[in-house]
Amino acid sequence: MRALVRAKAVLILHTIRLWRYRWSFLNMILAEAAWVFLFILGALLFIPKEFLGVAVKGAFWIIVAWSVISNFSGLIGGWMNFFISIGMVEEHMLRGFSPFKALIGRLIPGSAVTVASLFFMGALVGGAFRVDVFAVEDVPLLLLGMILLVVKGLSYGFTVASIAVRTSVPQNLLEILNFGFIGLMMVPLSSVPEKARLLYLAIPYIAPTHLLKVATSSAPKMLVYEAMAISSVESVIMLFLAITSMKLVNSWILRNGVRAIGFW
Amino acid sequence: MSLKTLFKSGIMLDFYFIKNNKSAFISMLIWPYMTLGLILGMGMIFGSSKSFVQNVGMPVNPITYFIASTIAAMVSLDVMWGVGGSVLHHRWAGTLPYMILAPNRTSVTLVFTYIPRYLLSAGTQLAEFAPLILLAEGVSNGLLKIGVMVLAVTIGMLPILGFSALFTSFLLSIKEETNVLGWLNPLILLFSGAFYPAYLLPGWARLISRVLPSTYTIELARLSAVMGSPNLRRVTFLIGILAAMSIVYNAFSGIFVEVGERKAMREGAI
Repeated sequence: MRALVRAKAVLILHTIRLWRYRWSFLNMILAEAAWVFLFILGALLFIPKEFLGVAVKGAFWIIVAWSVISNFSGLIGGWMNFFISIGMVEEHMLRGFSPFKALIGRLIPGSAVTVASLFFMGALVGGAFRVDVFAVEDVPLLLLGMILLVVKGLSYGFTVASIAVRTSVPQNLLEILNFGFIGLMMVPLSSVPEKARLLYLAIPYIAPTHLLKVATSSAPKMLVYEAMAISSVESVIMLFLAITSMKLVNSWILRNGVRAIGFW
Repeated sequence: MSLKTLFKSGIMLDFYFIKNNKSAFISMLIWPYMTLGLILGMGMIFGSSKSFVQNVGMPVNPITYFIASTIAAMVSLDVMWGVGGSVLHHRWAGTLPYMILAPNRTSVTLVFTYIPRYLLSAGTQLAEFAPLILLAEGVSNGLLKIGVMVLAVTIGMLPILGFSALFTSFLLSIKEETNVLGWLNPLILLFSGAFYPAYLLPGWARLISRVLPSTYTIELARLSAVMGSPNLRRVTFLIGILAAMSIVYNAFSGIFVEVGERKAMREGAI
């Protein structure tokens, strides 16, 4: 019963915050969609008109995958800085409630920003090029790919948040790292040498992104089951690492107190 | 407080910002290359440079084209953030009332303290892309193209300063805490033809692009991407437009910032 009340409190906190900061929320969606559109337009200058449909779709879903990684690491990992700076970490620990449990509620703004940007970007890109980016061939595969990507993104966000409690996490460099993943995600599996394909899929986020590409017919159907297995195993490992690091940091705070370094 | 003091304070501000925030400086160095890499990488993976030349409708080198676009876009963005966005930063930090009450006009303070950062960021970007331009274009041609880019970021800055000061007056008046520039800036770049030429945009978007100074800055920088020597007549024409826009936008910003300042002093700036 107590756990339910606390879960309700966390949900209400983040939902109210989302409403209170609705203009920032809208601003974030518009900014993200506009930047993505700007980059996609540049890249599409290289595409012959007859292949525009496949290329627009491929580029769109890669950007969606990046958006999940970036939003979860920024909106969850980055929020720890705010939580530390207003002294809420100590408040929660004194009441026997892990600050990381309060952080789970960031899933609400994180997914709201991602989903709203996805639809806005889809409408913008689809409208400009008359391509239905939401035409999905294999819906269950798309859902599986998205779920695995979200689990990985969340685990990454929580790991970053726990690191931010102990040492500083430079936001700029984290953004560069996230940006670097787009480069890796863009590489089509078919252009990777056959012997290195499994190794390429083993790079975090690549396998679920490949599932998204296959589900939306922007990549040929190859190594689908392997991608499913690799991304499932990796998701479990990343989740385990996130939980372990949060537990370790929790006990470290109890012994040493909070170091207000955070994420900057 | 003399203009020299404001300029010097801008230098000190940037020096300590870089000294205390090295990751931001590293990011400033890496970010333009990442933007360039993303567009070129995505373009080359999904398409080809032959299709690029066909779509653009001009004999251009895609590498130089996107270097010029990246430099002009980043520099325009920097001015818009550095002058317009700084009002938001001062508001968040609680220093905006002091800035408004300072002996100099707010627009003068914002512009003069910003110039050192502009010189640093534009100079750094030109310097870091110079080897790539020389590699792609050869030494003599490359130097000529770098010269055109230097001209674009120097002359192009003047109207954008006035244009950004108009944002300053807007942000002073609306008392908005939300970072509205976050989504306005990419839209301005989009209409300016930052990575996608403005002449390929729909008619209504082309109308907007014509009144934006960044359109001409980007176009001037991009002339360097045309194979062979840049067309001097076109260069002169664009410089003329930018000079005229400098006069118009800076005159307008002078009036509007004053209105915004008065309103902020009368009603409070926070």
